[in-house]
Order: sequence, then structure tokens, then C-alpha cells
Amino acid sequence: MDFRLSFACRDLGESLRRVWLFCACLVLGVCLVMASGAVYQMLNRSLLSDTRALMGGDVEIESNQPLANDVQAWLAEHGTVSLMQELNTMVSTRDGEFRLVELLSTDAAYPLYGQLVLSPAQSLQAATAKQNGHWGVAIDPVLAERLKLALGDWISVGQLEMQVRALVLEQPDRRLNANWRGAPVLVAQEALNASGLVHPASRIEYEYRIRTTQNAEQWKREFVAAFPDSEWEVRTFADRSERIAERLSQIASGLLIVAFSTLFIGGLGIYNSIAVYLHSKRATMATLKSAGLRDRHIAHIYLLQVGLLAGVSGLLGVVLGGLLAWAGSLVLAQELPMTLQGDDALQAAGIAWLFGMLTAYSFTLPALGKALNVDVASLFRDSQSDEAILSRGWNIATLIAIVLLTALVLIVIPDVLFGLAFLAVVLVCLAFFEGVVRVLKHTAERIEGRPWLLRHAAWRFAVANLHRPDTPLRATLLSLGAALTLLVACTVVVVALLRMIHDTIPEESPALILYDVLGDQQSEVAGMAESYASLRALTLSPLVRGRVASMNGQPLRELNTPKVDWQEMARDEHKLSYLSGNIDGIRLVAGTLWNDSNLAQRIKQAGVDFLFIMEDREAEQMQVQPGDTIGFSIQGQTKTGLLSGIYSQRGIQTRFWFEAIFSDGALDPFITMYVGTVYMDDEEALALQTDLARQFPNVITVRTEELVASAAELLGKGTQGLAVLSAISLLVSLMVLSSVMAAGREKQTYHAVILHALGARMAYIRSAIRIEYALLATIVSVFSIVLGLSIAALILQLRLKIYTLDVYWLGVILAIAASALVFGLGARYLFQRLKLRPASLLRDAG
Amino acid sequence: MIRVDDLAMAYQQEGETLAVLHDISFEMAQGDTVAIVGPSGSGKTTLLQLLAALEQPTTGRIDIDGQALADLTPDALADFRRDNMGIVFQSFHLIDSLHALANAALPLDIRGAADAIPRARAMLERVGLSHRARHYPRQLSGGEQQRVAIARALVHRPRLVLADEPTGNLDQHTGTRIADLLFELHAESDATLVLVTHDMRLAERCKRQFWLEDGRLQEEQSRGLSA
Repeated sequence: MDFRLSFACRDLGESLRRVWLFCACLVLGVCLVMASGAVYQMLNRSLLSDTRALMGGDVEIESNQPLANDVQAWLAEHGTVSLMQELNTMVSTRDGEFRLVELLSTDAAYPLYGQLVLSPAQSLQAATAKQNGHWGVAIDPVLAERLKLALGDWISVGQLEMQVRALVLEQPDRRLNANWRGAPVLVAQEALNASGLVHPASRIEYEYRIRTTQNAEQWKREFVAAFPDSEWEVRTFADRSERIAERLSQIASGLLIVAFSTLFIGGLGIYNSIAVYLHSKRATMATLKSAGLRDRHIAHIYLLQVGLLAGVSGLLGVVLGGLLAWAGSLVLAQELPMTLQGDDALQAAGIAWLFGMLTAYSFTLPALGKALNVDVASLFRDSQSDEAILSRGWNIATLIAIVLLTALVLIVIPDVLFGLAFLAVVLVCLAFFEGVVRVLKHTAERIEGRPWLLRHAAWRFAVANLHRPDTPLRATLLSLGAALTLLVACTVVVVALLRMIHDTIPEESPALILYDVLGDQQSEVAGMAESYASLRALTLSPLVRGRVASMNGQPLRELNTPKVDWQEMARDEHKLSYLSGNIDGIRLVAGTLWNDSNLAQRIKQAGVDFLFIMEDREAEQMQVQPGDTIGFSIQGQTKTGLLSGIYSQRGIQTRFWFEAIFSDGALDPFITMYVGTVYMDDEEALALQTDLARQFPNVITVRTEELVASAAELLGKGTQGLAVLSAISLLVSLMVLSSVMAAGREKQTYHAVILHALGARMAYIRSAIRIEYALLATIVSVFSIVLGLSIAALILQLRLKIYTLDVYWLGVILAIAASALVFGLGARYLFQRLKLRPASLLRDAG
Repeated sequence: MIRVDDLAMAYQQEGETLAVLHDISFEMAQGDTVAIVGPSGSGKTTLLQLLAALEQPTTGRIDIDGQALADLTPDALADFRRDNMGIVFQSFHLIDSLHALANAALPLDIRGAADAIPRARAMLERVGLSHRARHYPRQLSGGEQQRVAIARALVHRPRLVLADEPTGNLDQHTGTRIADLLFELHAESDATLVLVTHDMRLAERCKRQFWLEDGRLQEEQSRGLSA
């Protein structure tokens, strides 16, 4: 064996205890990269591998009425067509249980891609056929479990009672959100027609799936060209993939960023650990140098050691990360159709291991370069300065490692924008940290001479330690500051969500939410609700669907603005309503509302049919501002309105997503359907739900209690995942911090010994250390409170639209408590280890 | 006045007792300058540690101005050092996070003296370092660091100055200048100065010289010690 390798192994074997921190930081960092990567690979493979099957065809045309014969003929000429009719409705059991389901009727061509597997094995036609005067249904296992249904049991759909004849074991186009939005129930076309749910006002979606050998995008272009004024939504499987991939890559990028951050924080621990290790190897290096071994060969020995440590630690991290991903996949498998496969894990393992190696070298090369860039005499004298300069070669090697690491981040992260943003944030944070450190050091240096501080030596001593050359300020801010920031942000967001689900939503929410109340059912539904004693309020708002036809007098399809697909926009169906006592608690963010006294006058002045306000995201997409006039096409008629304002909806509290709200009266001629809210006691809500389901089977009712329970369950799972990530990240930070403190302990003990020799009591020395730690804890707390709460506020207010302010204090308390705990334990540990032996100061005198 | 009676010191090393000092007795009057000289390993440093109350003797007692050091608690010993002693170390042992002025002011700071800084500044001026008051130890030469250490040892006007090889880490020229400074400052005070040194010329500048060998102390009556 080569001398260098054998020496590296023997030398390392003797010193393994000194590099535990190096290994621990790398193991945990790689573990998170591996776990996040494997989960992403699994999601990616499961969700994107066959989006044709998931969508049900190469192209899908969605309409709320059957396509005209000429269109159907065109479709038949250009591929194989399968029609699926889809309707959301309530089903009930003989036990009086109700559930929202997605009623699906298919034709013989279904499915165009993939295979439908029923249990017991049979064809869908057989399962749903009429037998002994009753139609059959094939239901989703999730629904069977929730409603405790077995084969042969009966469910009511509309006016029909149907028998459960099969469970759907595999449905290629099962929606990813089917578990929350309504499990599928497959019925025959004739059964759907006989259910009484199909009438002019009912909200049936007709999905025409097309299988074609032609390029899907080309097919779509030809279809749009053949029917230019169509209002149907046309999507290719690539559009669908793009949407899933976009959302998926955002989630995966978020997870990976937490993992990279942990690895980056761990890198500081790696640097500290290797620097201490190399310091302990100075005598060995000096001996090797004086024995004639070239610098290059000594470098090889220690580079080999780093490689061995990083390689083995990386493998361990990969194994732990694999276990974490496997546990995560079990949780995910309860909600989504997927399992972790060997391929997912192998690819993620390779990447995570490579990350570990590159991180290890990026952080150890500078320390190694400094350690080796010293002459023998200095090594023997142990007089190397911490400010040793890196030679050009070591600088270049470090730069190469960093460039490779950066490139790997950009290659691996699914959303390159996220990757670039992450790198930018790292750079900004480093610059910010550096700025903060410099300001603090400068401030500490300046206030050191202040008269008050001059009279309090313990304080001055503590302040002076903040700006000494090897102050732990930078490392402390980077490690604990970053981890606490993450912890504060995650906690505030999760607690705000939990509070909203457990308190705010139940308090503010109606007991029942009603969808699809037909125009002629409005008064009867209201009457039924009013017959309950506990009814506190009932609101019914119209829901009219329409499309935007023109903007400021110009037809939408003729507009040509870069980055806006007006053709697509013209096909988008919008949900329109009245303010109706602000049924969904919208918030005006621009412009004004109207009032009864000025409405007529403003309409007249603007020369329009009505005033309206628009949802902020929709307005942003269409690039409209208050004052613009917009033409809406509603049931074949065009009406023009003046955009009076822009509103924002309340994120997850929103029950109805209205894209625009019109001034009263404007929608009257078009109203066929209402949505509503009922405020009453939960027990009576259950009774009302039963009554409504019996008398108006088309009316969909959702009890808030159920929604809250399923949201809380989902969030609980998400919180567990976040908690695991945050805990690992915090653990790494604590280890790094402990390494920083351990490195500083020697110096603190030395200073304490000098002070004791000069006559300082132990209490005085402890007081000086306490003050120093309290200052560090304060700085870290303030830093993580400011940054963590800013991040939380951005997520809550901009993304989730939760404007509650009374959760932020929790972040403040958490940051202060965590800092106090960490530094308190650190100080306690230091006091226990503080063996004051002032005599040692004189020992070097001989 | 320092009075040392039947002082002995032994260490336990790998289960065996290693006697370092035997039956040492002497007296030093206030204002004396005393050199303790001896070969390496003779116990000079141990004796200085005992005088500085940094170690406890195995047997015997040390009285300083009538106060038996053995009777004092650790805190009282720290206070005693703070109020009565100044120590100059061979390796300076300045605190690297404090600049020269703050280092020099430490003993007064620890005592809580309101005039710590002006007195430290005056002392730095006496050692010729007023222009380096805001410099940190790493920015000072070895000689300058030792001058700061001397300023720190004398700033609170101690009754006993203990100097352990104060010129041991310095070149000859700088060493001579430091020694001159030490004796010059001592001459301005009524302190007792105890020097541990290998340097015969330095030892000869003291009023009394003790020779320590194999743990036994003997006062040399005549000048001109031979190492």
C-alpha cells in the first residue's frame, strides 16, 4: 500500500474521536439531502411518468355541455375519443351517512390509456349495468372505508338507489386530490341520466379525451384553428405535466433548500472540526516535513483522510436519509398513489453522497491550506497565526470545489429559479452576516471606551470579547442564527395555520356550506334552514359563470401582449357573484366599492352596464387596473362593466373563489344557481344536511367540522415532516455551535486563569462569562426574530393570506427561550469544565 | 514582610511522591529586592507559585504582612492577590481581546476602582507606551508586551511584586531595558520585589540572592553567583 494511504489510515485511526463533529455534521446534512431527493424522485416518477394516463388522453377538451355534432365529427376524424361526464354530488348510505363524491360516467372506449382494475375482476360495463332493476356502481376504496361500505351495500345518488358491485383498485386517471375533493364513483351513462341530477342548470363537465398519434401540441393548434371562437378549455398532456411538474418542483425545491441550508450550516462545523483536528496534527506535520516528506505529499495524506471521513460519513448519511425517505413515503402513500422504489433511492443516494464529498472539501481545503502553509519551525513552536494566508494553489482548489458544489446545486434542484434564489440568498445572507458582524464588532470596539463600561470591568471584558480576532460572533450568528431563523419561521407559520384550523375557522365559519342550489330551489332551501331553531344566519349568493370577452373595447382574442395568452384567457370560465353581505370576507386592496347612492350615477357616467370588482390574482394576470372597462360574455350575451376595485380573498379560509363581484342587479337575468352559508349549531347542521340530501339531492353540502378535521389531519402530517426537518437542522446547528464554544473554551479558560491570577474571584469570572453569553444570546435572538418573523410574515400574508398578528409573539418567545437555553447550557458546561489552575501560567518558566 | 517557615512541596506523580521543595525558611523585609536563582527543575517556579498563593504547600506556612496565606479561602486569596500582589510572567499573558490600556487597567478594574483608566494610562506613560495604549497585544512587539505586563503588575501599587523570568523571552538588549524599567519603577515604590531568573546579571542587581538547588534554598551572602 502506498505510504501516504497507509499513514493516512493509521494516523486517522488514532484520532477518530477528534473528528466526530465533522462526521456528525456531514451525516445529518447528507441525510436530509438524501431524504428530500428520494421523496422528490418518488413523486416525480409516480406523478409524471405517465401523465397521458393521469389525464386520460393526449388531449382533453372540457366543456359544460355536450359538443356539437360537427365538433364531435372532427374529433372522431382526428383520433380515438372517449367521453367522461363528471358531476360533483352527495351520496348517502342507508345508515344516513353522507359524502361528497365525484360521479363519473364513462363510455366503452374508457380508459384510453392505462387499465381500470376492479375487484372482483369484471368489466366496468358489467359492474355498472342494470341488474334486477337496479344500477350498479364501482366505488373508490377510500369512499368504501369512510362510509363503511362493502360489496352488495346500497348507496343513494340523486333519486336512485344503486348497489356497490365493485371496488376500483386501479384507476389510471384518478385525481391526485380525490381523497379530499371527493372520491370517484363510476356509474353507467344511463344511470346518470336516470338519477335526476342531469338538468339544464346542473354543473356537469363533459370531458372529451382524445388519443392521437399526431403531436399533441400540433393537434391542439389545428383544433383551435378549426374552431377559433370556441369557449372550451383545451389541454394537452404536456400542459398537465407542466402544471404538476411546476408545483412538484416548487415543493421539492423547498425541501432541498432546507437540506442544503443544513449542509451549509454543517459545513461550518466541518471547518471548525477539521481546523481543530489539523491543529492537533501540527507536530505530526512538522515531523513529516523535517523527515523530508514534501508538502504536496503531506497534503495528499490529509486530503485522503478528508476523503475517507467524508466518504464513510456520506454513506451513513445516505442510509439514514433512505430510512427517513422510506418513512416519509409511507405517510405520503396514505394520500397519494406512490411507493418508494430502489431507482428513486439510488439516484438520490449518488447525488447526496456527492454533495457530502464536495461540501467536505469546500470547507476543509481552506483549513488544510492554512495548516500546511507554515514552516517547520513555526509548526514546532506552535506559533501559527489564525490569519495565515492561503497560497494561490489552495485558493484555486477551494474555488473549484465551491464552483462544483454550486453547479451541483443548480443541476440537482428541480426549479432552477429556486436554486439561483437560494444561492443569491446565501450570498446575501453571508454579506448581511458579515455586515452585521462588522457593525457589531465596530460598535463593541467603540463602546468599550465609554465611561460606564470603563467602571464595569466584567462588562468591558464581555464587550471586548465580541470584537477580539477570533470572536465566536460570526460562527454563532451563522450557525445558531440560521437555525433559529428557520425554527422561528416554521413555528409561526405552522401555529398560525393550526390556530386558524382549530379556532378561527370553526369560530368564523358557517356550520354548513352549500353548493349548486338551483334558482328555483332557493326559497325552499332557505325555508328548510329557517325551520331549525339554532339558525343564526343564512346567506345565499348567486353563482353565474361567464367569460371575459373584451378589454377597454377591444376583443380579447385580438389583443397581442407579450407573455399573456389572450386566447387561453378568453376560454377561461369565471365565477361571478354579488357582494351579498360579503359572503366570503373579501378585502378590497385597490380602487373603491360602490354604494347605493352613487351606483346609478357612476354607471351612467362610465357608459357601462354595471360596476364590478375583480380578484387580485385574476386582475394581475389580465394586467387590468381600476378604471378599465371589461366586457363579459354570459350565456351568450355580452355586458360591459367598469372595474371599480380589486380585492383579495382570505387564502385557506376562502370557501368560494369568485373571480369577480358585480354590482347588485347586473347578474339577475342569468342567475340559475346559488351558493350559500348556514350558521347554526353543529348537531342541527347534521340534521339539515340529511334533510337537504333527501329533498334536494343535487345540492352539495359540506360540514365545516369535517373540512376542519381533514385539514387538521393533513396539516398534522405536514407539521410532522417540517418538525423532523427543523429538528435535524437545529441539531446540526447546535453541534456546530458546540464546536464553536468548544474551540472558544480553551481561550476562555486561559483568560479566566489570567484574571484569577490577577486577583479576580470565581464569581467575577463567571459573571464576565455570563455577560458575554447573554450578549451573544441577545444578538442571536434579535437576529433570528427579525429574519424569522419577516420570512413568516411574507409566507403568511402574501402566500397564505393569513393576517392574524397574535402568533408572532410566539416566534419572539421561542427565539429568546432557545437562545437562553442553548447559551445557558453552554455556560453551565463551561463552568463545570472551568478548572482554574493559575499555576499553569508560571509553568512555562521552567 | 514575608515570612516563610519550614516550607515543603511535593507532587504526586504516577503513584509516587516527587519532593520539589524541602524545609525552606526565610524572611524578606518590605522593600527588599530578592532574586531566586537555580538550575532548571530546581523548584524556582514552584516557590514563586507558593508565594503568589497559586499553589498550596504540602507543609509549612507563608505569612505576608502577618497574614497566614493558609488561613484564607480561595476568594480571600484572590482578593489578597488583587490588593497586594503584582505578577510579571515570562510569557506576558496579556488578554488578547483587550488593548494595552485595558490590559494595564485590569487589576484596578477587578477591584472596581473608578480611576482605573487614568491610572493605567499614567502607568503606560511611565513604561513608555502611551502612544500604543489602543493597540492590541498582537500588534505589539515582545518587549512592548512585557512592558504592558509590567504596567499591569505595578498599576495598583502592590506590596509584593513577583516576576517570573521577566526577560526570559526577550533578546538581550530588550531584556536589559525591561530590567532597567522594572528596577526603576520598583525604586519609586516600597514594594518587595521577588525575581526568579537564570540571568546572573539580573540577579546581581537585587539586594539579596537565593540559590535554589534540589529543592533546598540557600542565601548567597556574597555577590557574584555562579550558575
